[in-house]
Amino acid sequence: MNLLLSDHSFPKDLPQKEENHYIDLTQLQIKNCLGCFGCWVKTPGKCVLRDDAVKVYPLIARSKNLIYVSRLYCGCYDEPMKRMMERAIPMQQAFIRLHHGETHHVQRNVVEKKAVIIAYGEIPKQEREIFKKLVERNSHNMLFSDWSISFVSEEHLEQTIRAEVDAWENC
Amino acid sequence: MGKLLIVNGSPRAEKSNSKKYAEIFQSFWPEKADTYSAVSQKSHALFSHIQQYEHLLFVFPLYTDAVPAVLLSFLKELETVPLAKSVKIHVIINCGFLEPKQNEVALSILRYFCKKNHLVFGMALGIATGEAILATPFAFLVRRKMKKFVKGILAGKSETLTTAMPLSKQLFLKASAQYWKNYGKQFHTSEEEMRSLKIEGE
Repeated sequence: MNLLLSDHSFPKDLPQKEENHYIDLTQLQIKNCLGCFGCWVKTPGKCVLRDDAVKVYPLIARSKNLIYVSRLYCGCYDEPMKRMMERAIPMQQAFIRLHHGETHHVQRNVVEKKAVIIAYGEIPKQEREIFKKLVERNSHNMLFSDWSISFVSEEHLEQTIRAEVDAWENC
Repeated sequence: MGKLLIVNGSPRAEKSNSKKYAEIFQSFWPEKADTYSAVSQKSHALFSHIQQYEHLLFVFPLYTDAVPAVLLSFLKELETVPLAKSVKIHVIINCGFLEPKQNEVALSILRYFCKKNHLVFGMALGIATGEAILATPFAFLVRRKMKKFVKGILAGKSETLTTAMPLSKQLFLKASAQYWKNYGKQFHTSEEEMRSLKIEGE
């Protein structure tokens, strides 16, 4: 399965295939994570907040190819994407394992994925460096087998998204 | 010394470990500190008097390797209001993992926030094993480092301190598993249920 998750509108004429899913976060109602650990200790694998996020994280878990499109803020994903990532922790267990020599949460049925992160906007060099380190850390916690980051202006965002979606054909 | 505001950036607010760390901080801070919870979304009232603070202390948990979204929201609002000219930013961050280095990216984000807004970054304390350490005999390590953290602020230093339970990886895995099993028991959830591989929708 292939998933595009974006905090920005994207081209409406992307290839319509059963295995492709395109999600525009701006069209969804997603609240902040409560930090209640309910998805670990009360209803394992299921968030207690029943808003649109519950439709998204099962798709993230199942996707083999994943494209995140996000504006950055201070070297971090901006709020909409960050909020969604926080709401995706039902994909993990509370329990800790060793992964690449570090302690990380055990994953539930999460497919190892190739991730492409498209960070858009005017992004200074130092902010890019912070973001690269963040994605590297995410790769351990989000089962990225392979990942890359494209820094693009908002003006070039649409064509970058289109090119990355087209690249799914060769995966 | 100047007035200090503690900003709790945890989504759990009143029930958070961040609140407990803030309380330990206050036990060493020589004056009464004010507190604000980012989830309260009462920033308008706070910003009417925020210029009185010489120190802003952000206390928060690591969320998906970075700063919680609720705190990002507050930071964005904060950069739109004038602060005291000599204000300094300090940070206490905690994560549930064994390695203090897992907090480093989040600290870089706060440092960048300071640089972007021409603010002075002061002291940082990165706590690993932060979900459980206060309930263990190793809680004294946090208090000891917090005392040093407070001294650093008072001396005008800019340093990063770290602390964690001094456990081997294998022992940490065992201890954390027990911690979470006990947590689940409070909700009558068995270890087997907690270890389910299923994600809703399957």
